[in-house]
Amino acid sequence: MAITTTFDKETWDTLHNNGPFPLKKLHITQLEGSTNMPSKFDRYKDAATEVQRLIGIAASQNEGFRAYGARWSLSYIAHQKEHMHYNRKMNLHIPVLPENMEAGSLYKAENLFFFECGNTIKRISEVLFSHGKSLKTSGASNGQTIAGCISTGVHGSALDVGAVQDYVVGINLIIGDQPGDIVYLERSSRPALNKGFADTINSRIIRDDDLFNAALVGLGAFGFIHGVAIEAENLFLLKRYVRKIDKNIALQLADTMDFTNSSFKIPGETSTVGKPLIPYHYKVFMNPYIDDQQYVVELMYKKPYSTAYPDPFPVIETSIYRDLIYLLVRISEKFPQSIPWFIKKLEKSILPDVDEETLGTLYETFWDAPYQGPAFACSVGVDHKDASKAYQLLEAMTRKEGPIPGIFAMRFVKQTEATLGFTKFPITCMLEIDGVLWKKSEKLLSLREYGTKMIETLQANHIPFTIHWGKNSDWAFPGLVNYMFGNKATEWKQQRNSLLSPKMQKVFSNQFLKDLQLTT
Amino acid sequence: MKIRSLILIIVLIAVFSLLFSSCYTVRVRSVYGTPEPDPIGERMDYYRDMNVHEVDTTITIKATDKDFTLLIKNCNRQGIHTLEYRNTFRGILLSAVTFGKKRQVRVKYVCMEEQN
Repeated sequence: MAITTTFDKETWDTLHNNGPFPLKKLHITQLEGSTNMPSKFDRYKDAATEVQRLIGIAASQNEGFRAYGARWSLSYIAHQKEHMHYNRKMNLHIPVLPENMEAGSLYKAENLFFFECGNTIKRISEVLFSHGKSLKTSGASNGQTIAGCISTGVHGSALDVGAVQDYVVGINLIIGDQPGDIVYLERSSRPALNKGFADTINSRIIRDDDLFNAALVGLGAFGFIHGVAIEAENLFLLKRYVRKIDKNIALQLADTMDFTNSSFKIPGETSTVGKPLIPYHYKVFMNPYIDDQQYVVELMYKKPYSTAYPDPFPVIETSIYRDLIYLLVRISEKFPQSIPWFIKKLEKSILPDVDEETLGTLYETFWDAPYQGPAFACSVGVDHKDASKAYQLLEAMTRKEGPIPGIFAMRFVKQTEATLGFTKFPITCMLEIDGVLWKKSEKLLSLREYGTKMIETLQANHIPFTIHWGKNSDWAFPGLVNYMFGNKATEWKQQRNSLLSPKMQKVFSNQFLKDLQLTT
Repeated sequence: MKIRSLILIIVLIAVFSLLFSSCYTVRVRSVYGTPEPDPIGERMDYYRDMNVHEVDTTITIKATDKDFTLLIKNCNRQGIHTLEYRNTFRGILLSAVTFGKKRQVRVKYVCMEEQN
């Protein structure tokens, strides 16, 4: 039997110390060992029964219940003040066999993999590697769990792929504590696994495009995500280049995505007629506090996998004293005008080395990101055509209202089908400012106030935008979700209400959803 | 008086420099695998969210002993993900005054996460 240990807690925090937040109970479920229960299906079903028991306890106490994994989100999306469930130890991988495929499915069995919620991107990549496969994309690192990634819309900068949720083909949800409250969702237009598979995980199949797309970026509100079926692809390599280029060219590429006709080209990354190729990944770094005429850009091009390539990992890594950074931040709270100076001094540690070139798998390229101390990140999604305009507005606002201890970057993501996916534009530019968490002072505005200014600036200039669910913002800004998603927000709520009983809608709610007015 | 103060400052700087330069951390980390997480701990250092095992002891080595092996049993079959060795001024001093007989051992390690 899966065993849950419950701890009485007073607070809970994110990995990057964006809390603390109040908490009553922390539940940690450990799977039954394979010695006592050799079948993975049995262990998976056993864990589901245990989670249902915990949901039942929360429901009987008229309290909320929310799962979390690696707690990488910087917003309070993962927080629930009553019952939180740590699911990282629920990390089974269940192989998908040809006989598990729905007749007529367009997917290949060899590309489909089923993972339990607590598997991290790194672990999944290692499993896929052993099958000669790779994820299509990941975030900038690999520590998030798969359930956390899709619930919050984690993205990389893969122009032709989309975000993590965009290669999910099935979602196994626990939506209550009663028999029959375990469902396996797929799109009706793209079925993948058959009833036989769903039966082995004790689930009833629901095939519905609208419901699936709503649950895909479900903000933890569609029940407990127990497992997901994902589509992988054959292993590939990424050739990564870091260059410093004219800022007008960097921004023009952001606005047009017209790499083919750009004057910027990387030798060797051109077509047979000498035109630049469209990269797999494009990222621009911008320091808002210097009038640099050149920006650092990072481009990656997809290459066929081969075993013979130089080791992309450095042998030795060093890091600067975190205490030094904290000291600088404390100084900057009292003297904000010092921020541009210390960002300039730390630029070498923050930005990748110019003219750096590496070759590696996705797993190797977006590798571990060790904890660097309390951090913040604000990230808005805009249509790539608005990228440079949005940046110039936010840069001016940051200089005027701040400065704050962070630098900007742009990444670009293909459109998602998820109803509340923030990568909703044909190509979304994710414009983000990341840095060291600071405290409000007499001379420096708070992080939430900065988030408010971002929203107000974009609204005042009529730039349609979204906000990354897992990052910092003023989430209680009036009418925010309707401004970002319009009718889609209503559609999302309708789908949620159709799947969950009123009682379970309360169980799977939290302050984040309430602030966004997404609970009813 | 002024010369004495100056000498004192120079000596103090030299002592502090010696102390800082003799304290260092060497970490060995596997590129592959995931460190065993710690959902309860609230560390604020490199090991945040990792279940860290610490060894802080003084060992005695005989003149005939070539090396010293510490056997660990709490990583099960998963093995070690990260291992850190820390050298301190105190450790160097202890070794020096005991002619190498006593050695301070300060090691941290994190097991690989169990996979299913």
